[in-house]
Amino acid sequence: MKTIKRYMRLYKVLIVQFFKVIMQSKVDFLMGLFGFFFTQITGILFLYLVFEQIPLLQGWSLEQLIFIYGFAQIPRSIDHLFTDNIWLVAWRLVINGDFDRYMLRPMNVFFQVIAEKLQPDALGELLVGSILVIHSCRKGIVVTDALHIGLFFVSIMAGALIYTSIKLFFASFAFWIKTSGPFLQVAYELADFAKYPTEMYAKGIQFLITWVIPFAFVAYLPASYFLGRGGFFGAGSSNVEVIGIECLIAGLFWCIAYSVFRKGISIYESAGN
Amino acid sequence: MRRKLRIYLPFALNEMKRQMSYKGAFYLFILISTFSSFVSYFLWMAIYGSTDRVMLGGLTKEEMVVYIFMVYVTGSIVSISISDWVSDDVVKGTVAMNLIKPLDYRLSLISRALGCSVYNFFVPSVFIWIGLEIYKVNVLGMPVTGVWNVVLYIISCIMSFLIFVLFDFCVGMIAFFTNYIFGLLMVKEALLKFLTGALIPLSFFPEGVRRVFDFLPFSSMVYTPVMLYLGKYSMAELEFVLARQAIWVVLLYLLGSLIWKRVTTRLVVLGG
Repeated sequence: MKTIKRYMRLYKVLIVQFFKVIMQSKVDFLMGLFGFFFTQITGILFLYLVFEQIPLLQGWSLEQLIFIYGFAQIPRSIDHLFTDNIWLVAWRLVINGDFDRYMLRPMNVFFQVIAEKLQPDALGELLVGSILVIHSCRKGIVVTDALHIGLFFVSIMAGALIYTSIKLFFASFAFWIKTSGPFLQVAYELADFAKYPTEMYAKGIQFLITWVIPFAFVAYLPASYFLGRGGFFGAGSSNVEVIGIECLIAGLFWCIAYSVFRKGISIYESAGN
Repeated sequence: MRRKLRIYLPFALNEMKRQMSYKGAFYLFILISTFSSFVSYFLWMAIYGSTDRVMLGGLTKEEMVVYIFMVYVTGSIVSISISDWVSDDVVKGTVAMNLIKPLDYRLSLISRALGCSVYNFFVPSVFIWIGLEIYKVNVLGMPVTGVWNVVLYIISCIMSFLIFVLFDFCVGMIAFFTNYIFGLLMVKEALLKFLTGALIPLSFFPEGVRRVFDFLPFSSMVYTPVMLYLGKYSMAELEFVLARQAIWVVLLYLLGSLIWKRVTTRLVVLGG
């Protein structure tokens, strides 16, 4: 209990620092936010133009696809906001020996890595995601009973954890091969496939993004549950199992990623002589 | 002319060498860059599968496949983001070194971009292009693209390249006014993807919006060469779109010169 309290206090100190940074460069912050915001908006415009031509896309309406798209942004942005520093582990910190400083302090190494930086640009993604989800709720296409709302937040947290785990897993390779940025990037960019219904992809890709690098469980599958569509385990099933599996995968991937990370730290050797 | 070539050619060659030196991560990056093409491939297949109409936005399903992958090929040759280099130079202050040398800064940037472009053409664009042609003939059952269309495509691509880099030079000038250009470059990228037709063929836009696009340089960057490749223009339209590209090259060249003159008179570089 005492340790948790200590870490909470430390994190608060770091967050306060972070807000000072934002206040110092308001224009930079707003431009970064706008950049991410705008990128997502073009994705929505694309869907809008396509649906001028067709009424339904494989049985999905425009409103439903917008919800999936928006929902996908939320876990992604939460992970992006809190754990952006993992990218630096993959690209730079290990190869140039800067990782040393985490090893020297009497604190959990993973905590130090993620506490070092918050990524304010992610708020742009979070904003788009939230607007789209709220928009969908007002259109009445989302199931909004207590169970669904509760599971909504569970699913977002589990989704963010899946993102973090995938990032940590691939970043940890850096301890063996010094820089693992490109591998991390390949894995991370696969998330692009999960913004749309998975059924439209070739079987191989479907399998890959559902079970190997499970981005489908972050976005499309839970989103279709909140839209009240069953069918993952055959028509008629309530599909609530999807959220359960999502949590299970999140837990499992986290354990794997974290133990790889721990193993990596134990063999870490600094750069130079 | 010959002298100019001797001065600026090394910029292009250097850039090619620089690109070639990063071999390790290289194949993975090619893989990543094709992801979005494959996402849109599957997306468009689903879209065409959801309607009885043969044509959407004036393109058949087969033509759309060609469109998606030619956008990739064209984009990798044409969109060389020189504004990144400009902002780098301004932030680090190295732009001062470029000002005291007897060099045209813009021309040196364009030469570097040309090096990049040629490199991108050989790895991997040309292979994707050939792959696409083979796929087109064997699987989609379309005829091989005619020599005439390929020639037009290449001419158009050269102008597209010039339009893009000249435009991007103007964008890069913003770096002189603000330090944090990252967010802005993201907006630029998203905007260009949308307006050049890289994300969706411009023929999908409503009539009124298309009329506006006719007066902007963006459609000349990607959409025009790809449509030329597909042979979608009549003879009269063909002359018009090529002339429009040429006009944009001249206009953007003049605009860039004007801004550059303005900017360099008020530039302050600290240290050095």
